[in-house]
Amino acid sequence: MTSYLDATVPSRSEHLWRYTPWSRVHPSSVDTIPNVDAAVIKSEDFEFTNKAFEPLPASDIARIFLNEIIQETTVIACDNKEGHIHINAGGHAVAAHLHIACNTASSIIIHLHGEADWFGLALTGDINANAQLSVGVINELSSDSVMVRVDDWFLHRDARFELATLSMGGHRNKSDIRSTLKGSNASLKQFIAVHGHGTRHDDHHIEIHHQQPHTNSHLLLNAACDDRSHSIGTGALTIDDIAQHTDAGQIFRNLLLSPSSRAEAIPELEVLANEVAAAHGAASAPINEEQLHYLMSRGLSKEEATSMIVEGFLIDSFSGLDSDLVREAIQTRLTVHLECQLIG
Amino acid sequence: MTQDAQDAVGDYKYGFHDPESATIRFDKGLNEKVVRDISELKGEPEWMTDIRVKAYHHFMEREMPTWGNCDSLAGINFDNVTYFLRSSDKTEKDWDDVPEDIKRTFDRLGIPEAEQKWLGGVTAQYESEAVYHSIREDLEEQGVLFLDMDSGLKEHPEIVKKYFGTVVPHTDNKFSALNTAVWSGGSFIYVPKGVHVEMPVQAYFRINAKNMGQFERTLIIADEGSSIHYVEGCTAPTYSTDSLHSAVVELIAMEGAKIRYSTVQNWSANVYNLVTKRGVAHKNATVEWVDGNIGSKLTMKYPAVLLKGEGAHAEVISVAYAGEGQHQDAGAKVHHLAPNTTSNILSKSISKNGGRSSYRGMLQVTPKAAGCRSKVVCDALMLDEDSRSDTYPTMEIGNSTADLEHEASVSKVSGDQLFYLMSRGHTEEEAMGMIVNGFFEPFTRELPMEYAVELNRLLELEMEGSIG
Repeated sequence: MTSYLDATVPSRSEHLWRYTPWSRVHPSSVDTIPNVDAAVIKSEDFEFTNKAFEPLPASDIARIFLNEIIQETTVIACDNKEGHIHINAGGHAVAAHLHIACNTASSIIIHLHGEADWFGLALTGDINANAQLSVGVINELSSDSVMVRVDDWFLHRDARFELATLSMGGHRNKSDIRSTLKGSNASLKQFIAVHGHGTRHDDHHIEIHHQQPHTNSHLLLNAACDDRSHSIGTGALTIDDIAQHTDAGQIFRNLLLSPSSRAEAIPELEVLANEVAAAHGAASAPINEEQLHYLMSRGLSKEEATSMIVEGFLIDSFSGLDSDLVREAIQTRLTVHLECQLIG
Repeated sequence: MTQDAQDAVGDYKYGFHDPESATIRFDKGLNEKVVRDISELKGEPEWMTDIRVKAYHHFMEREMPTWGNCDSLAGINFDNVTYFLRSSDKTEKDWDDVPEDIKRTFDRLGIPEAEQKWLGGVTAQYESEAVYHSIREDLEEQGVLFLDMDSGLKEHPEIVKKYFGTVVPHTDNKFSALNTAVWSGGSFIYVPKGVHVEMPVQAYFRINAKNMGQFERTLIIADEGSSIHYVEGCTAPTYSTDSLHSAVVELIAMEGAKIRYSTVQNWSANVYNLVTKRGVAHKNATVEWVDGNIGSKLTMKYPAVLLKGEGAHAEVISVAYAGEGQHQDAGAKVHHLAPNTTSNILSKSISKNGGRSSYRGMLQVTPKAAGCRSKVVCDALMLDEDSRSDTYPTMEIGNSTADLEHEASVSKVSGDQLFYLMSRGHTEEEAMGMIVNGFFEPFTRELPMEYAVELNRLLELEMEGSIG
């Protein structure tokens, strides 16, 4: 296993670290490995066991670093169950590794909260043959927190996987979410909604790798950026030469709400098979004045009208979710968050 | 051409070569002396020599790009390139005065005929320098300057000094540094205020010698309210060893001016084509790149526009065809630096017989660029299972009022379309050729007709044998 202190700190010329350098999301100085506590994981709906940490595929600096600091892996027993998991990140620096192996069907909502200065989260999972898994991740960390999240999901034959992320907490967030469609006829749907406010910096890198024929993937990222926030969405979709009859699509949409907000969208495609349908789209625009005018003419203030449009835009990210539980939980948290923002 | 030569050339009809007849040929390899010798030979002013030497040192220090096709780039042996080869002692104004063997080449490429019919001016560059140059008298009378770049520097040093390297500085990238160090030939154009050059002007670039490096430098300045359409074509013989083409093109469109720059690049499959093309559009000006990449072993070319003035517009239409052993890494970059600027990018690519085509784009909106609009469309066709298509777009949005769209798709030729055409009596090969021509139609319709016809014929040739 590569040692962190022997690894080269990536430069900004590397695609993955172009907009959020590793030094800005490391808990202290990049040439150190600080003491990191374990985050508290609780659930009334699932049972879990802790075992010795299973190292992540050490392909990048964030995973190499997490391999050094995480001590144990929490394995969720999820088959035929649905419910919530709460990860409380408190203290200076904390980290957690959750592993989910799904063999039947399950829906899981993972809530991230707490006031940790730095939080490192590794999510891994195997969606085994014929299994069906929906996972929702809601980031409600305190406004001062920095988070590094890495995901590694493996979809096996005929697996169905939905992964929804609502990102609205924390000060700086770097998420590197990777999914591999390892079995034929596997299907992945991924939805991400980002609400940027204050000086929030939210960077999502999504890699989807089609390794087998007849696999499908769909990615939708909607980011609404207010104040001086900055959202980055980079996608890397790879279709191997044997992955014929693949259907893959990526959409990145940005709604810019203030003159100082910024957004980046980089949806990349690498296609090595010819019998495929692969597409991506990206769009960025200010709030629609007609929609604003319509709502204000019905008595809403400009702030209320804007908040309503943002809510509609972000909720739309999750309309394709099959799991009612995950969709409703996310929508509720989003509505509460926007109302809190509105009343200050 | 003998049968053996024909066999070696294959389908590439410009793959013939003539015996090399150099009046001056530098030894292979690059060092500061080579750079100084090129400058001295051309009798350049000291400031240009200084720029060349600075650029040479930057080239030596600069790393190779870490993106694109790094494996293929690593195959370039800079010590095995001839950096300067003069094949004629002067630039002629009459085709009859051009050395016989060179004239024969251009006759075969159809250049004199095209000039008579539909061009406002022609420059023909053979190896490192222009061998023929002419401009219509009426354009000359209106004050239009159309010269090869060496003559431009000699006759109008004040204009060249003012603009040279302002759009593409030598520090921009490794290959712009190389070009600035050893540039030779290219076109220099100045269009005075309010003058509209109705007929396109053309430059034709031909590499004939083995292991040759061609480093032309083009500078086009369209003064306020003027317009010009510049067309360039490129071919080279087919050799088993590689040649290097590394050009720099700088366009400057002043207020209200319009420059259209059309390229049909059909280098043979042993040419590295590493080109930096960039234009600046001032207030209400338009810069258009119409860029066709059919040939070469590796092309890395991303025509760019800096929209510097309010209301400026950029248009990039680019097509790429990647056949066996080819990698077309092309794209477009548009930087919106001023309010109410607009841009359209349309990119189309076809990969066949294991070829690889990549779209690499950048769309940037700076905080000052309020109210700008842009649309990017990339379509790729994959004709067989050995080929590959990539899309690497980047959108950086720093202003909330920007309205931007990007869409891309990769697919194969529709079975329905093939079936329809075949049911009307076409063979599968013909049907495929028609669909490919139709796919490129948004590009070909922007070309002068003679070029469009030639391009369609080229594509048909490339498509031969693609079925079965």
